Amino acid sequence: MKINKLTIALAALSFSLLTSSCEKQLTLNPTGAISDGVSIVDASTARAAIIGAYSGLQDVYAHHYPTLGTMPADLVEFNGSLTEYLQLDQNSIPTDNVKTVSAYKALYKTINIANSVIAKIATVSDAALSTTERNTILGEAHFLRGLAYFDLGRGWGGVQLQLKPTENFDAIKGIKRSSLAETYAQVHKDLLEAERLLPEDNSTRNRAQKSVVRALKSRLFLYQENWAEAENYATQVINNTKYSLVESYSSFFAAPFLTTESVFELTFASNDRNTYWVYWYPSSLGGQWNIKPTNKVVTALLDPAQGGDRKALIKQLGNEYYGVLYNSISSSTDPAYLIRIAELYLIRAEARAQQGKLAAAAEDLNKIRNRSKVASYTLSSKAENAKGELLLAIENENALEFPFEAHRWFDLVRTKRAGAVLGLTNTNYWLFPLPFTDIQSDKDDVEQNPGY
Amino acid sequence: MFNTLKKGLFIGALTFLSQQTYAQQIQNLLGSVKNDKGEHVSHVTLRLKNAKGSTSTDAKGQFKLPAVKSDVLIVTAVGYEVQEIPLTNVTSLTITLVPSNARLEEVVLTGYSTQKRKHIVGAISSIKAEEIASTPVTGVNQMLQGRVAGVQVSANNGTPGAGINFRIRGSNSINASNEPLYVIDGVFVDNRENISTSIGGQAQSNPLSDINPSDIEDIQVLKDANATAIYGSLGANGVVLITTKRGKLGESSKINFNTTQGWANAYKKFDLLDGPTQDLLSNESKYNTAVDAALAAGKDPATVAQIAPNPAYQNTYDRIDYLFRTARNKSYDGSIIGGGEKTSYFVSFGYTDQQSIVKPSGFSRYSGRINLDNKVTDKLKVGTTVSIARTYRNISSNDNNAKGVINSAIFTRTYLPVFNEDGSYAAWGSFDNSNALIDHLNNNAIGFRVIANGYAEYSFLPELKLRSSWSIDNNTMSEKNYTNTYITAGKATNGAAAAYENQGQTLLNEQVLTYVKSFGESRKHAINALVGNTINYSLNQLTAATGTGFATNNLKDISVAAITTGSSSRAEARLISFFGKTTYTYNNKYTADLSLRADGSSKFGANRKWGYFPSAGVTWRAAEEDFIKDLNFFSNLTLRSSIGLSGNQNGIGNYAALGLWSSGANYLGLAGTQPSQLANPDLTWETTRQVNAGIDIGILKNKISLTADYYNKYTYDLLLDVPVPNRSGFETFLQNYGAVRNSGFELGINTVNFDRNDFRWTTNFNISWNKNKIEKLASDITLGASGRNTSILREGYSINSFYLYKQLYVDPQTGNAVYDDVNGDGKITTADRQIVGKALPDFSGGLTNNFSYKNFDFNFFIFFTKGNSVLNMQDFFMVHGGTQASIGFLPRQLDRWQKPGDVTDIPRMTTFRDDPTANNSSANNYVGNVASLSSRYLQDASFIRLKNVSFGYNLPSATAEKIGFKKVRAYVQLSNVFTITNYNGLDPEVSATGGNQNTAGYDWATTPQPRTFQLGVQVTL
Repeated sequence: MKINKLTIALAALSFSLLTSSCEKQLTLNPTGAISDGVSIVDASTARAAIIGAYSGLQDVYAHHYPTLGTMPADLVEFNGSLTEYLQLDQNSIPTDNVKTVSAYKALYKTINIANSVIAKIATVSDAALSTTERNTILGEAHFLRGLAYFDLGRGWGGVQLQLKPTENFDAIKGIKRSSLAETYAQVHKDLLEAERLLPEDNSTRNRAQKSVVRALKSRLFLYQENWAEAENYATQVINNTKYSLVESYSSFFAAPFLTTESVFELTFASNDRNTYWVYWYPSSLGGQWNIKPTNKVVTALLDPAQGGDRKALIKQLGNEYYGVLYNSISSSTDPAYLIRIAELYLIRAEARAQQGKLAAAAEDLNKIRNRSKVASYTLSSKAENAKGELLLAIENENALEFPFEAHRWFDLVRTKRAGAVLGLTNTNYWLFPLPFTDIQSDKDDVEQNPGY
Repeated sequence: MFNTLKKGLFIGALTFLSQQTYAQQIQNLLGSVKNDKGEHVSHVTLRLKNAKGSTSTDAKGQFKLPAVKSDVLIVTAVGYEVQEIPLTNVTSLTITLVPSNARLEEVVLTGYSTQKRKHIVGAISSIKAEEIASTPVTGVNQMLQGRVAGVQVSANNGTPGAGINFRIRGSNSINASNEPLYVIDGVFVDNRENISTSIGGQAQSNPLSDINPSDIEDIQVLKDANATAIYGSLGANGVVLITTKRGKLGESSKINFNTTQGWANAYKKFDLLDGPTQDLLSNESKYNTAVDAALAAGKDPATVAQIAPNPAYQNTYDRIDYLFRTARNKSYDGSIIGGGEKTSYFVSFGYTDQQSIVKPSGFSRYSGRINLDNKVTDKLKVGTTVSIARTYRNISSNDNNAKGVINSAIFTRTYLPVFNEDGSYAAWGSFDNSNALIDHLNNNAIGFRVIANGYAEYSFLPELKLRSSWSIDNNTMSEKNYTNTYITAGKATNGAAAAYENQGQTLLNEQVLTYVKSFGESRKHAINALVGNTINYSLNQLTAATGTGFATNNLKDISVAAITTGSSSRAEARLISFFGKTTYTYNNKYTADLSLRADGSSKFGANRKWGYFPSAGVTWRAAEEDFIKDLNFFSNLTLRSSIGLSGNQNGIGNYAALGLWSSGANYLGLAGTQPSQLANPDLTWETTRQVNAGIDIGILKNKISLTADYYNKYTYDLLLDVPVPNRSGFETFLQNYGAVRNSGFELGINTVNFDRNDFRWTTNFNISWNKNKIEKLASDITLGASGRNTSILREGYSINSFYLYKQLYVDPQTGNAVYDDVNGDGKITTADRQIVGKALPDFSGGLTNNFSYKNFDFNFFIFFTKGNSVLNMQDFFMVHGGTQASIGFLPRQLDRWQKPGDVTDIPRMTTFRDDPTANNSSANNYVGNVASLSSRYLQDASFIRLKNVSFGYNLPSATAEKIGFKKVRAYVQLSNVFTITNYNGLDPEVSATGGNQNTAGYDWATTPQPRTFQLGVQVTL
């Protein structure tokens, strides 16, 4: 009987304990994530959020965006086995191409974080967050959002402008695609704000600064064919003594990176890796060799009259060449190169040439050529050919200066030369398709680019 | 009185009993019981029909029972027909048992209780482990393939211990789990994948491989809502109840020893073209491409020069031979079973070691078990079940991984040498050197698993019992991987190491109060009722570290690496449940059954944590009705039907309902956060409503018995990752949306075809049809094949459908592929992709024939499946028309169109970039919009396989006893003997990307099922 009572008591106890504490027991919280209600509430969460936005940009620029900027053009080609690279190489990009979809996703993800910072930082009241720091974070958010919309615009055309953080999925309904001009106008707006808010120092190259904003503005004006402003902003950056062309071309892509050449690069570390080199290196060196320089670029880089020192971008294996811009094979710490001072010279060269300032333009062009020990360009003696030939020279210089960075494809599309150079006469294919899933899940608001 | 009697029996005081009835001229009845093979049978219950008295046979089959002559003796034994023997003028007798086929009297374990099979309302299939235990696979769930109607089992590949796909009545869910609940001796075991090393896209392991199949007594598969509803939110995908062996009180101890020794090989190996032919095809593609370019440029194609064979590419280097091996399997099992007056026990150990036929993978397991039951008092019983397993896996990557072993062996062009001139390993293109991987891969996972349970059962009254049970499933997996500098992945970094420590813990406490009683006139009314509660806590934690940069290949610990990283994570979940069930049977004819369970889960939204899962069912044993009896035809005729709800919460994140910013989005060494999911406070149970109607028929004294069931399962409020516009910054939002239906019919037939003169022939046949259909979905969801999106989930179609361009034919004049232009716009674009097949079969089943003659037995087992397709990724990559510069060719490429008039399904080889939307143009032969995502690589993978043939011999018991054994058996067994299929890959039973349940049916450089020859010996002391 003793046991009998004991058992009943135990059973009763466990039942009552259980019912009283059920709801409490059923509430569990993670240890690796925070509730969205407390995502940006004080200095440390505000700082973490803007860092999260940079991390989002790393996702865009580590693999995806440089691939989109090169593979569809003529300087690199598909070398097996991943179909998404073949599709880009062949300019037959289906709506579910992994690379375009991943870049699109990552860009909007970055935008959403930037939107959260912009919307919430004003509500933070924390003495630890000084006005200067608050402005810097807000300025960075505007810059990152502007950059992301710029990259969306030049890849996909005018896109849907999300300017508020997503808090529920019904609230985002009704936003239609803007035109490319409207998209670039939003970029301009964000960059103005960023320029106003951001500081400038003498050393930072991997976070947004006033000069970084100006450099991107220069590029934006180039895309908008606002030559005078493009020149103006390029000059502002070039005149900043923080930046100068490195003497030896190959030194900007050698560790420890962050050279004076760099206006803006994203830094990676051994615990925050960039494995892009894997796609460029042959398997015998540990890579997968999905991306390979074309014969065209190999020939040009090896030609002392064209490539000069830039032949350091490729290395030979047997009869073939592989690209070594991304080369940190033991540590996977290659930066993502977003803006180099060399680009500002070539932007200014092009802007000046377009404005008829040919001699000044050639001077900028030669800065780049001479740095790589390539002979100076001399303007055509025939006045009627001079501008056209100079612009072509600048285009070719861009190709050899940035063959493995996100430039060539966007340049050829921007100058409407993709048909002539690549034989891609169907201009529909000058824009990437919007992701298949967006067409499905956003039926009311989104329209696919024509031709897809 | 009854209590006293029982007590008396248990202490063996038969004299006490006989004194009571002495007055009625009692005599001592002596006897023995044998089975149909002449062996003595213990534990046979002998009961008097009129007087109160019973006993059971001892270890030698002997019994003694005081009885009056006018009485009738009722003989019952599990697995045998009940016999009634009048005792007129009998003082001693020898009883021969007749095996029963219908197993009607058998007691079946159902959710939280046991019931007689004849009263069971639900659809439950039972399997005796001994029927399948010698199958040379590691997991008991895999052994059920083809054995149980309504259960579809397919292996992902042929590597021992690797993942399998196990579905009871089809796939209910898209994003939540489709795995059944496995309950081993009352412990809800964790069936989550716990290997972190990626092996290329498929499920890395079958967690049930941690259980030694030799320890198992029987398996019940609960299929319908009535059987599973008591498991509430855990039951929607069906429940597999596994009972391990336990000793019985008073059973003399038996020592068993078994061993098997096996040899396995591949019955089909990869067939690659030789070097010169690969060079020739490559050149042909380049030439054709140049011709196309010339034509497009308006030039004369005749100016294009033929490409001469490359003299350096005229050799052939074989990699396949080194890839495969004759794999050894061995297993040793020993056990002791028995019981004393108060304690019964089963103690076992086991060791099994199985190599993969593709080097270097392998699996081994040490296991031990102690099952103890102890009668503390007449009212209190306590017991423990402890099982320990230590597994070792040599893991190598295959499937969707360019650096996989098989990939590196088959994709590399055969004219490229295996070794460099200096003797070092040569790696080509995107691939590694398969020999280097085989020689140097050093990935191993050591699992240690303890599944333990302790219970106490107290009988307040004979009919009222309380059982309290406490369980733990502690599953740790410790992985150490080292990639040295001979392997390309380790070359760049001077060695790379990774380590993972994964711990999964499930703690379970349950109380069940059961009431079982018959009452009324002739005990016409029978009630079996229970109430109970459980608390289930699960913990999952992972610690991971990586290191790169080692001084030499001899140093492998991460602690000595130049660069190291580490991480850890933890997730918890809790489930609290209350349940009740009552079964009422009237007159052994009519049974009604009702159950209800309430579950509260920590995973769900604040508003919707609790779910309620009721079920109801009825059974009518028509064979007990006089009008059926009068037909004198049916030995069994039972009609069953049930309806109920069950739920599903597995497979979603533990914190899926919360709005979260995740951490770890770091930059410049600073900690960063990013939004990762929006809150869904309404997130709740995915619910499956199932109706079942079944019939059990036995005729000719159950020589022919048949079970048929129809079911219709409708799963709604799917836990679905609904795609949202990417512009939101999110990809998907987990919500209760969508519905899936599985409906089907299953049939099992068991027959005794011949049973005379020591010759017995029985046949078991089962077949299951299941139709899976997505009834409601927000929008199409495409996925699979590394972003090629070759699988699709679409409303109105089956889960695991393939989404490709349908190639209609290759134009015999142009040699170009012509595709189905679905929207008729004259172009081939994404809009022209369509569903061209599915990975799920229309039906599958198994046929077993058992023959025994005297001491010999022979059986064979055939498994078949029909209507499923496999996307052959070897063909996709290796019949590439020249697009893949570093990948070789399969012989199928030789079928390519070459000249006008050729009729073939393989188009002309060219990689010329033309208008990617053009149909019947070279653009889409291998590139263009189609990019080879063509139905020409999708194949029918229906097959019939002679899965098992075995031949055994039992030493006659007299001979065995002479040499000191109770039983000696030897057998030989052949597995996967042959396969009839139209599929052209190595093995139609494959799922290379099965790690995601929505991308089944890919063959991608995958290890085929081995053909195994096995010798076995079993002895009992």
